[in-house]
Amino acid sequence: MRAVNLLPMEQRTGQSVGVGRSQGGAYAVLVLVGGLALMAFLYGEAKHQVSSRRTQVASLNEQAQQAQVAAERLAPYTSFIALRNQRMQAVETLIDSRFDWAHVMHEFGRVLPSQASISSLSGTIGAAGSSVSVAPAATSASTPLAGAGSSAATASATPPGSVPTFTLTGCATSQSTVALTLERLRLIDGVKEVTLQSSTAGSASNGGGAAVAGACSGRDASFNATVSFDPLPSAAAAASATKSVSDQTGAASATTTAAPKTSLGSGVTAR
Amino acid sequence: MTGRDRMVLIGVLVLVALGAAWMLAVSPERKQASQLSAEVSAAQTQLSSAEGKVASARAAQSQYAAAYAAVVNLGKAVPPTQEVPALIDQLAQATNEKSVNFASITSTGASSSASGVSSTFAQLPFTFTFEGSYFDLEHLFRQLTAFATPTAAGALQVDGRLLTIQSVRLAPSSNSSQPGESGAGHLTGTITATAYTLPASQGLTAGASATSPASATTPASSASSATSSTTPAAIVKVTP
Repeated sequence: MRAVNLLPMEQRTGQSVGVGRSQGGAYAVLVLVGGLALMAFLYGEAKHQVSSRRTQVASLNEQAQQAQVAAERLAPYTSFIALRNQRMQAVETLIDSRFDWAHVMHEFGRVLPSQASISSLSGTIGAAGSSVSVAPAATSASTPLAGAGSSAATASATPPGSVPTFTLTGCATSQSTVALTLERLRLIDGVKEVTLQSSTAGSASNGGGAAVAGACSGRDASFNATVSFDPLPSAAAAASATKSVSDQTGAASATTTAAPKTSLGSGVTAR
Repeated sequence: MTGRDRMVLIGVLVLVALGAAWMLAVSPERKQASQLSAEVSAAQTQLSSAEGKVASARAAQSQYAAAYAAVVNLGKAVPPTQEVPALIDQLAQATNEKSVNFASITSTGASSSASGVSSTFAQLPFTFTFEGSYFDLEHLFRQLTAFATPTAAGALQVDGRLLTIQSVRLAPSSNSSQPGESGAGHLTGTITATAYTLPASQGLTAGASATSPASATTPASSASSATSSTTPAAIVKVTP
């Protein structure tokens, strides 16, 4: 008996399922259409992004330009504030670089024992040539120190790092009082070193109020000492130090009335 | 050609068509979008910077009145001109408060520019002579430096001319100029001090008014370049 294939010719073995009469062309068209649709979607999205970002860039640039214009319009205010800051800083630096002469004078009057007096006081700050001097009675100071002005032309009267040094000449009732004076001078804030140059007691033959070297009378000892201060700090450090010195000054002022009497020169007495 | 071969060929053609569409249309647009994204970031940075400048400038504008007052106040410490009469008045007032006799004021040199931090200021050296007791003079020295002092809060208190005392000489007074004084404890104090003035290139407010700054306000950086002043020295000698 001979077998008979009942399947139609196009559906027999060797042909893909679903290929159909178009030989798979329909699927290919479907894939192509789908792929093109996807491409169109991606293209449209990218195009939209380009468009929106162009708009965004333009908007941002416009805003930035407006801001620049506004900033330029207000630039004089910024410059003026900078000018103010510059001047304030310059003035503050000059203030901080000053040496507190008044405080040192006050301290000398505060720490000296009552049995000692100053006949001469001279101070120098570094190379600036600044000095404090209390001349003996014989010295006339009625003429202004015209020559001293030359030191004023230096860059700074009290440059950072310079060492204030004072030289004291005075009288004391005894050598023990001289020693006490040296100890007291060390109490001045900022003093680094106190050095005795000489201390000479008067002889008995010079008694009775006769003048001796150093303008000391009788057996009083004439002494000469050097007081060195700590180097002046930089402007920034001086700013903070000014506060503490100011506080100490306030405390010292409170004790002024209780300070021992200090004789200045010949018969010049200061409280 | 079998059916399978046709299917492969069709698939390849479809892929080629889609690839061509990607390469020719989609990819350039996406690349452009990416570039524009970078431009957006740059523009945003530029805008932020500009807005920062505007904020800073607006803050400066809001501080202008206070800054103008501060600059004018600083002008009392460092005026644009020598202002010697004001200095004399200031010293006379200080000496009256401290029972000190203001004997004389002498200009001791030509004004010169200071170097370093005070490069914008010209120096005016003076020599003052005062008469009074030791502690009166000490208080006077304190007051002379207190015309311009920093406050505890870190601000500046300006009540008068900024002076830097450079030398002090005290000597017993040879004569008592004030009636009724015995002369005991009476000292003559000779002080060499330096006052300062603003450079000639700047005014007190650099052209600014109370309501608005000058459009060409000198910048701080360029202002510091003016270091020398050829202003002649004040020739003043007063003996009250």
